Amino acid sequence: MTDQSPDSALLSVENLHTRFRTSEGPVHAVEGVSVTVDEGEIVGLVGESGSGKSVTARSIVGLQDPGEIVRGSIRLDGVDVTDATDRQLRRLRGDTVSMVFQDPTETLNPVFDVGEQIAESLKVHNQLDSQSLLEYLHVPPFSSQSEWREYRERAIELMAQVGIANPEDRVDAYPHELSGGLRQRAGMAIALASDPDLLIADEPTTALDVTTQAQLLERLRRHNAERGTAILLITHDLGVVADICDRVVVMYAGEVMETGPTDRILEAPRHPYTKALLDCLPQRVDRGSRLPTIEGSVPEPTGDRTGCPFAPRCDHATDACRRGEIPTVDLGDDRGTVTCSESSTLESHPARSATAALDGSTEPGSATAGGAPGNGPDQSTQPLVELEGVSRRYSLANGPIERLLGTDDTLRAVDDVDLEIRAGETLALVGESGCGKSTLASLLTGLEAPTTGTVRIDGTPVGPAADRDADTLADVGVVFQDPRSSLNPRLTVERAIGEPLRSNGWDRSRRRERVRELLERVGLADRHATSYPHELSGGQVQRVAIARAIALDPSLVVLDEPVSALDASVQSRLLNVLADLQADLDLAYLFISHDLTVVEHIADRVAVMYLGELMEVGPADRVFDCPTHPYTRALLEAIPSLDPGGSTGTSLEGDRPSPVDPPGGCVFRSRCPMAEPKCAETDPDQRQFGPVRAKCHLPVIDDRTASR
Amino acid sequence: MIDYDYLASRLATSLAVTFGVSVVTYGLIFLTPGDPAEIILSQQLDRQPSAAEIEAFRADHGLNDPIPVQYLHWLTDVFRGDLGTSYYSDTPVSTLIVETVPLTLELALAAMLVALAISIPAGVVSAVHRGTPIDHASQLGALLGVSMPNFWLAYLLILLFPLTLGVLPVAGAGSFGHLVLPAITLGTGMAAVVTRLVRSSMLEVLDEAYVDTARAKGLRERIVVYKHALRNALVPVVTILGLQLGTLLNGAVVVEIIFQRPGLGSLLVDAVFERNYPVVQGVTLVTAIVFVATNLLVDLTYRYLDPRVQLGGETA
Repeated sequence: MTDQSPDSALLSVENLHTRFRTSEGPVHAVEGVSVTVDEGEIVGLVGESGSGKSVTARSIVGLQDPGEIVRGSIRLDGVDVTDATDRQLRRLRGDTVSMVFQDPTETLNPVFDVGEQIAESLKVHNQLDSQSLLEYLHVPPFSSQSEWREYRERAIELMAQVGIANPEDRVDAYPHELSGGLRQRAGMAIALASDPDLLIADEPTTALDVTTQAQLLERLRRHNAERGTAILLITHDLGVVADICDRVVVMYAGEVMETGPTDRILEAPRHPYTKALLDCLPQRVDRGSRLPTIEGSVPEPTGDRTGCPFAPRCDHATDACRRGEIPTVDLGDDRGTVTCSESSTLESHPARSATAALDGSTEPGSATAGGAPGNGPDQSTQPLVELEGVSRRYSLANGPIERLLGTDDTLRAVDDVDLEIRAGETLALVGESGCGKSTLASLLTGLEAPTTGTVRIDGTPVGPAADRDADTLADVGVVFQDPRSSLNPRLTVERAIGEPLRSNGWDRSRRRERVRELLERVGLADRHATSYPHELSGGQVQRVAIARAIALDPSLVVLDEPVSALDASVQSRLLNVLADLQADLDLAYLFISHDLTVVEHIADRVAVMYLGELMEVGPADRVFDCPTHPYTRALLEAIPSLDPGGSTGTSLEGDRPSPVDPPGGCVFRSRCPMAEPKCAETDPDQRQFGPVRAKCHLPVIDDRTASR
Repeated sequence: MIDYDYLASRLATSLAVTFGVSVVTYGLIFLTPGDPAEIILSQQLDRQPSAAEIEAFRADHGLNDPIPVQYLHWLTDVFRGDLGTSYYSDTPVSTLIVETVPLTLELALAAMLVALAISIPAGVVSAVHRGTPIDHASQLGALLGVSMPNFWLAYLLILLFPLTLGVLPVAGAGSFGHLVLPAITLGTGMAAVVTRLVRSSMLEVLDEAYVDTARAKGLRERIVVYKHALRNALVPVVTILGLQLGTLLNGAVVVEIIFQRPGLGSLLVDAVFERNYPVVQGVTLVTAIVFVATNLLVDLTYRYLDPRVQLGGETA
């Protein structure tokens, strides 16, 4: 299917079909996928959730269970995985192919230290065929302690290679004692222990911060360059693809839509799906304008299907697309393939125009003014929310005795934060995980009480939720990150949305009417009122959560990572809903996110947090175009660029220090590329640089900042 | 690393629980009809005792005091290390307990071993071969084990081994042979409960991502299952083991009587029938202490099984 001959390739997947038996009939997770990876090549396998990319990857290493491969072949280093014996499969896994999994909190065994888990991998690689249980259980007469010690020594080397600082100390650490980035590095060490020819990485950086992601991608790239390890990178993030992949395979609903060199795919996508996917990325659209979306949803993976799976959502679909075989066209000149009946007609269309028009929005670029959310932030009057010197500390003492002895440590989750939110504006709160963003939001919503400082809403100091009156509570709505776990699975949509209304004494008929109105506002149909959360898609559930948050007409909605669990096409639709609501209802948003491309798109102002402190606060365009604080700059540079070949800039080295024991002076100095001795001596004050307030001795000042 | 704060608070709770148990049994005992003086004297004298004799017995053992006062007397004695003397034989209760506790503990531990030896392999095999005939067989076995009363199993075993095959003694205690049938009787019921638990816990763990990580390394399935999965699956199992000890001590009462084994169980049953208050109180107290101590031990074991467990768990 691709231009390489399958024989020469390290990995060649041909016409793979993987199915899952379910009570509702077979689910066709992978339907005729063909992929090749050559030695030393980095191939990206891209698609949204449900595209079958992970199942394809797992099928390659024989981990498709409980699914089964019903057709097709997977040749890996000359062995057909689909009918390999257990022993052959073990040999492949221990020698030829390794896998790095998505969520490092779940992929390391919690009860063994990382040294043991890496050592095991080394031992497997060395003695593929003589694996005795008692030896691996370290039962004395059957297992040589000196041999295990040797493997542990080598594990330390390997940990250093994947960029774990102080590996001698970390080798004894259990996974829960390590940060997400370190865990994923340990996962890489386990995978690389066998010095594989092919590394399959399934969303390896999705659960990580941008800064950590940049470091990890750099490691992968370096490993590829130095040892010639081929990499099959499974991801939904086209920025990551642009960053390190040589070639891209775009999947949709279990089928391959388009393949080709990364540059060609990003610059001149041929398949309508690839185009639509690229279009709905916030970084490709002007700030404040509406995002193009892909209407409809991924087809049900059950039952038979004919024609192109994307046809129901495609503007260019013809009758030919809806039935029969869809041809895979070779574009020639190593430009890849595209599986589309209409691809020739699409060639002339510039990317982006197609789906933008479909959403009924004005052309991007000219839309900035019209799309500006709400009436805009109101600068003149009193702010809606004011935080003044707000701190939240947690005592880490284990009990009264430690507390008496004074051996308790305090964790400074939020430290002396001054911040205000004006009516109708979107303030984005960004920073790496653990920086205190969510704690700050909890202080605002009253789920936590500040240790010191004051939170004022509409000029009145407010306490924790239990002490707030009904009006104050109604004034702040909350949407949490994971919509599924924030909605009670046993309540219908109607009851979930109506709950705040009921506790405010609304009677049944008024509630019903209000719920209908709210459903319409968030773009759900009336019939969804009687659904349960598990019957809805991720995007729909999050809409329900938003409807619940605005039920009592709040003036502020706190959105804690509201779109980060969603696919790009769903995310863009939800961001549009949020923008509409803001314009119609004059809502202020506190938008917490680690995804800076989303923030850049939606925010009026941005506040950057690091270790509980505010590093920089200012208007979004200013902060993004010309960041004042070195930390903001590092965050922005770590975003994978969509420009093909454009690699990320200098990424932050090292790990975030512990908030229990922050560095003296400026908290950022231990990772700051510009740090000077004075940064260690004195903690910088918050200072105003033009429209931006920053906390730094060495701000980046360009001409626009000259006036103080 | 031992967390003294945690230990101190756990010991305090344990003490409170033990105290509560003693209050409740003391109260319950006095609610049951029957006068110890009458029952014991009539047994000792082998005739109906006279009113004067009964009065003397009652005065002698302080049975005329109000119940709270009697309890206080008993409690202060306990703190002096004196559990009182049996009404029946004038033997100190502590002596009776010291004589019988090892026998019951021996039985309980043997039963626990039998239970673990059956349930862990059965549960693991069942989970690994989910939905196959092996799984169904083990599930059916577990169902049988749970539903079969242990006195009935005891008689079946006695019928089969000593009476038909002529191996193993029918009753008594003292040798390994004497332990086999009671331990099997007592252990199978528990094995059934634990098998189901191991199975469901293993099924859950086998779905975890780290199991796939272990497979992707190229490890043999046996090592994946018995090293990576089992250790994680045992965490909830250990909790239940501690709680099952209570059931085990309950069961010991029945089993000890059937097999005529001296032990805490038979001692307690006799004492209840005789209204031998000091013995009932003493045995209950010791049982409560054993139970509470085992569960404390169980909680400490978590730390070893699962390094994530923060004993105490209070961080904010």
